[in-house]
Amino acid sequence: MSKGEILAGYLAPHPPHLVYGENPPQNEPRSEGGWEQLRWAYERARKTLDDLKPDVLLVHSPHWITQVGHHFLGVPQLSGKSVDPIFPNLFRYSFELDVDVELAEACCAEASKEGLVAKMMRNPKFRVDYGTITTLHMMRPQWDIPVVGISANNSPYYLQMEEGLEEMDRLGKATRRAIERTGRRAVLLASNTLCHYHFSAEPKIPEDMSREHPQNYEGYKWDMRIIEMLRRGETDEVFRVLPRFIEESFAEIKSGAFTWMFAAMGYPRIPGELHGYGTVIGTGNAVMEWNLANHPVQLEVRDRPTAA
Amino acid sequence: MPIVSAFLVPGSPLPMLKPDNPPWRELVAAYGEAGELLAASEPDVIAIYSTQWMAVLDELWQTRPHLVGEHVDENWHEYGVMPFDMHIDTELTAACIERTNEFGIRSKGVDYDQFPVDSGTITASHFLNPQGRLPLVIAANNLYHDGAVTERLAATVRQQADALDRRVALVGVGGLSGTIFRDDIDPGDDHLASPADDEENRRMLELMTAADAAALRAALPAYAQAAKADMGFKHMSWLLGGLGDGYESARVLGYGPTWGAGSAVVAFTP
Ligand SMILES: [Fe+2]
Repeated sequence: MSKGEILAGYLAPHPPHLVYGENPPQNEPRSEGGWEQLRWAYERARKTLDDLKPDVLLVHSPHWITQVGHHFLGVPQLSGKSVDPIFPNLFRYSFELDVDVELAEACCAEASKEGLVAKMMRNPKFRVDYGTITTLHMMRPQWDIPVVGISANNSPYYLQMEEGLEEMDRLGKATRRAIERTGRRAVLLASNTLCHYHFSAEPKIPEDMSREHPQNYEGYKWDMRIIEMLRRGETDEVFRVLPRFIEESFAEIKSGAFTWMFAAMGYPRIPGELHGYGTVIGTGNAVMEWNLANHPVQLEVRDRPTAA
Repeated sequence: MPIVSAFLVPGSPLPMLKPDNPPWRELVAAYGEAGELLAASEPDVIAIYSTQWMAVLDELWQTRPHLVGEHVDENWHEYGVMPFDMHIDTELTAACIERTNEFGIRSKGVDYDQFPVDSGTITASHFLNPQGRLPLVIAANNLYHDGAVTERLAATVRQQADALDRRVALVGVGGLSGTIFRDDIDPGDDHLASPADDEENRRMLELMTAADAAALRAALPAYAQAAKADMGFKHMSWLLGGLGDGYESARVLGYGPTWGAGSAVVAFTP
């Protein structure tokens, strides 16, 4: 078996509104559209993902919350109907997915070796969270690539933020080793919104885009600053300001997926490809890609740059 | 008098999932006793507020007439499934939704197949309402609501129940001190995460049994902060809001750890 590799990482946020706006057959409610800029961003990402032909998609979602440890989906096939508890009017999605259990077990074992509490989720009646489902649908609506689903231990909320992000760094390194050891050609999906200030009420027609704009100007400026740095490949600078960005823009990135993904990729200093940016009920969402295959030269594996 | 009994109960699913685990037996027995007291108070409906049903936009109320299924807890999946079968008092719920909208708290009903009912609500109805005999009102914990707003929601239930001539058992579902063990422990060795949490919890339980609602209300914010109480201890605000000016007495039926966090079953006599 040849050594596995991470082909790319995507920042792939999960507002269920995007699925709702697209009207796929799996989702019950019907819309008149909406959030086109972001959905077109995902269309671009779908194309580049298709070109990569990965064996597996790994997704870390903030909406599978596990207080005790980092958990990995570990049932070969999972299906059901995922209803968003916050936006049940928009997202009631029938899903069926295949899990790469062997890789999930390898990730779990490597995470344990890193000193993290790590567990396999083996209950066949488990309902996969809407964050995981939305990100996977937006990236690959065909559902023909096996997945590894990873929970959010939410350590950055529970512990000091720095301690929590350090845990996510170790989870990322463990994920990378597992991918290499199992010979997988893998793509990572960080299911995170940027600025998370949102409106407290929905318009009567949720997809009425005349009502959609950033909720918070300072948060918007932070998003633009972070995206600009990411587009320039200023990874060190991004991680230096990350705690401040998280605090000041209430960024969902705090839940750890973004740090996990960058740690797994070795914090590459390569320009991220912005597929698009848009707001959803006022929150900032960017679809971005780091294609490692296109930048083989810069690919030394690096440690997490921190504020200190 | 529409509120005929009131109970503070744990939201952790552990007592339901592993009732035989020695450290959780006291809570299981207390939950059972609470169920008997609740039945003896002869309510028409149980009004539940669970910290684990989180809402962000509006105040949500369950309006699906019949909820049935099997739930798997997102953290405790290894301990099995949690079956549930619940009926909703849709008339009382609709009255509550309409009323809060009149005083400026936006409320919305949720009536969807497969809507994720939370572990706390399922655990409470498993112990307090076996076989789903009594209909329920279930209100969400809106993360942006404080204790005062939560009190108003429960007061709304009381007023609307009065208007509809319902006898209500009021249930606040959630934990005491919120610090859990973040690693795997031997469940048989479960205990409070720290002596300080234990002390805070015991002091709070004493305050409840002193039956001075005003003093209890005043002590909630400091306790919530010191004990990192589950969701700011808003489930206690739910009970106080429903009980109104005060209550006659309270009895602690059980107290113990749930993976390091504090949990208690307390029965309030209105
Ligand atoms: Fe989210």
